[in-house]
Amino acid sequence: MTSACRCLALAVALIVLATGCAAKTNPTASAGSEPPPPVVEVLPNGLTLVVQEHRAADIVAVHLWVATGVRYENPNGLGYAHFQEHMLFKGTDTFGPGYIDRAIEGTGGRSNAFTTYDYTTFQILVPSDAIKTAIGLLDDMAFRSKFDPKEIDAEREVIFEETRIQTDNPQTAIVREAYSAVFGDHPYGRPLLGTPETMKAATQKDLQVFNHKYYTPENMTLVVVGPVQAKAVRAVVDQTFGRRPRTGYTPPPNPSLKPIKEIVRVKVDRPEQQAYLVLAWQAPPLADPDSAALDLAATILGGSESSRLALTLRDTERLVSRVNMNNASQKLSGIVYIQTRLEAGDVDKVEKRILEEIARLQKDGPTEEERELAVTKAESDHATAYETSDGVAGAYGITMVQASLDNELTYLNRLKSITRAQIQAAAQKYLSTTAYAWIGFLPRRAQ
Amino acid sequence: MIRRTLGLVALLSLLAPALAGAEMAGVTRSKLPNGMTVIVRENPAAPIVAYSLLVKMGTRNETEDIAGISNMLQLMLVRGTEKMSGEQIAATADRLGGSIDAYGDYDYSEITATALSRNWQAMLEMVADVALRPTIPDGTVTAVRDFVVRQIRNRGEKPFDVASDQTSIALFGPRHPYAWDPTGRSEAVQKLNRDALVAYYRRRYLPSQMVLAVSGDVKSAEVMPQAQRLFGAMAAGQADSPTVPAPPPMASTREVFKVPGAQAQIFMAALAPAFTHPDYPALKVMSAILGGGMASRFFSELRDKQALAYSTAALYPARLDTSGFVAILGTGPDNLVKAEAALKDQLRRIQTEPASEQEVAVARSYVVGTLAMDRRTNARQAWYLAAAELAGLSPEYFDVYAANVKKVSAADVMRVAKQYLGVVRTVIVQPN
Repeated sequence: MTSACRCLALAVALIVLATGCAAKTNPTASAGSEPPPPVVEVLPNGLTLVVQEHRAADIVAVHLWVATGVRYENPNGLGYAHFQEHMLFKGTDTFGPGYIDRAIEGTGGRSNAFTTYDYTTFQILVPSDAIKTAIGLLDDMAFRSKFDPKEIDAEREVIFEETRIQTDNPQTAIVREAYSAVFGDHPYGRPLLGTPETMKAATQKDLQVFNHKYYTPENMTLVVVGPVQAKAVRAVVDQTFGRRPRTGYTPPPNPSLKPIKEIVRVKVDRPEQQAYLVLAWQAPPLADPDSAALDLAATILGGSESSRLALTLRDTERLVSRVNMNNASQKLSGIVYIQTRLEAGDVDKVEKRILEEIARLQKDGPTEEERELAVTKAESDHATAYETSDGVAGAYGITMVQASLDNELTYLNRLKSITRAQIQAAAQKYLSTTAYAWIGFLPRRAQ
Repeated sequence: MIRRTLGLVALLSLLAPALAGAEMAGVTRSKLPNGMTVIVRENPAAPIVAYSLLVKMGTRNETEDIAGISNMLQLMLVRGTEKMSGEQIAATADRLGGSIDAYGDYDYSEITATALSRNWQAMLEMVADVALRPTIPDGTVTAVRDFVVRQIRNRGEKPFDVASDQTSIALFGPRHPYAWDPTGRSEAVQKLNRDALVAYYRRRYLPSQMVLAVSGDVKSAEVMPQAQRLFGAMAAGQADSPTVPAPPPMASTREVFKVPGAQAQIFMAALAPAFTHPDYPALKVMSAILGGGMASRFFSELRDKQALAYSTAALYPARLDTSGFVAILGTGPDNLVKAEAALKDQLRRIQTEPASEQEVAVARSYVVGTLAMDRRTNARQAWYLAAAELAGLSPEYFDVYAANVKKVSAADVMRVAKQYLGVVRTVIVQPN
């Protein structure tokens, strides 16, 4: 199903991606002509429209980014951001359930949606001549959804199944545990899919209230990327989103965050034979200047095939079968974590070895070759994202919700100017060897 | 691509031959003296470059006793050259901000690579190194062979793959090269050794059988001379054309195979023409009406309304020689009888009742849109350019094809349905 990934596993993946895809074509590295800059407009009703001309293919990406997500939920309404997102595909005043998926697929296109802590996004990718259809559908979904109680009951089961799939997968489940260990009572520590109690209690009215409160023009960014002209896009948007009234929505104050002061250990018994170990820390927000330096530190330590942890723990010492490291930025605070798959008997040894490798990076910093390779990897990820209109729309959307367009447009150049000393300093500042979250998934039989 | 549509009007002939030096906006084509073709598409959208080196070599060039040799050879190319070990190849690709890989397919085999465009020259040299100076080391041959044999064994355990393989055998006959998957036949792959691979490499890697297509943020004027330097030194050679046997004439057959698993698979198949045939666009639209995504009849009627399918699709792969149309339905074993009858009925209806204009319009958009989506990346653009060239078609071929799809009518659909779906072969795979 095209829209099947209104799901958590992908939401997690997208959080991870947030760090990877940032920035803009570097003028000095590009052999070709510079693409025109994005056009940013704020409509009279407060909606932000970002249009980027991108002529690589006859395909247009239309993304709606709404600055609401799990962290805006009421404590007794956990899971409603995501539930509400699902329901937008289940029928509007104009269209019946299933129509949206069919209409988009009928053009050869795809639709998708994700809910995370900071944002909810609805993404449509279609041949350029279907741009009006795509914008019209998104407008209808956002403002005219029906929330039919029958469809709500059916979709609740779909989400419970999604929860089971997520829980069954140790690699996604352990990252969820890491968020809750690192952020504690802060809304970033909440389950993305809610709790069985809140989900069962959700009524048509609850979901409508959430929708009406947060799905307002002031709280939205529409990103359109493809072989399009800003003026023509604006005309279509004026006839759809542009007609929706401003509601006077103002975002709630940001909840405060307590730092981790010690080693927080969370041990979970699991049915798998292999063990999983995650070490995690709070990380700077996406807009923080340190974020890019920590991106490079994470790549060098554990984020590539030839990273330090891959070469030592995986290839030489054979203590882990897999290792990776991510710096997942968010608006208020990111999370940086090392994830390994290993034998249960090696858990203590691996923790010790990871801490030693962190200490070594903190003491000596990276080599010049490591810095260059990490920058190359970031450039390559960035170029791959910017190759397609949907990749660009994704990068713009995330930065609009979590930082600013400028943050994204300057990312690669900032990254390239980061020195070895700055990478070392980021490792010292953020990767404490005495205060972190430790999450172990251990096989039941081994204990 | 917007720039390119202007050229379309003049090029509506379906089989427009590749013209030496023919150029569409941003695309340059050059034939080297030794017969190899190089195509460069300038695409400044992102600082990235993709290479597709296609060789006219695939299962189509194989016989039963060497079934799988093309794919196996491709896997060996990236595992060591005279200059670099397999590990060095992977590490160098990382340093260039990209990747390199190779695999075999039915008609063509591909070496595919990407890099940051500022490293275009180093990656081009690595592509040439892999293609022209592979060592095919003995020890690695054994490891790769074991890996492929495991892959083939795994296919035998999956109901869908078994149904697919048995349908190919039923449709083309057991000795026809389209009867086996590009991974090959286990008996044949087990016998492949270094000598056999080297001999096959020498026979097939001939300049006249190779096309290098480059797409990305590069300048054709810079890439062309380097490609000429790297590949121009290859000696020209005479390629033998494969003698592909004719598939047996269509007949109504029904075979049942038992494979453990929860689902039963029903495949109904008929021979259908090569992708260069004038009926291809109409058959693609027909295929989309029946089983192209969620708007299709199989999906909405068999899955949604009648609840007779977990999964369903219609496939019609693009091939150089006569291909096949396949209707697919995955269902619970209890529903098998009903589902088979319902699928058959769908194939009958498309021949006897004209589809509505609306339905045909949606299917046309689906076919054109799916193609456009697949051509979004430089890697796929490069593949399409190289594939058209190897088939003797112009670089605009797939744009012309899209224009032809847009002209398909309900009458065209009914005509090709009658012509090609009158008789079908059925393959059923069910649990014990």
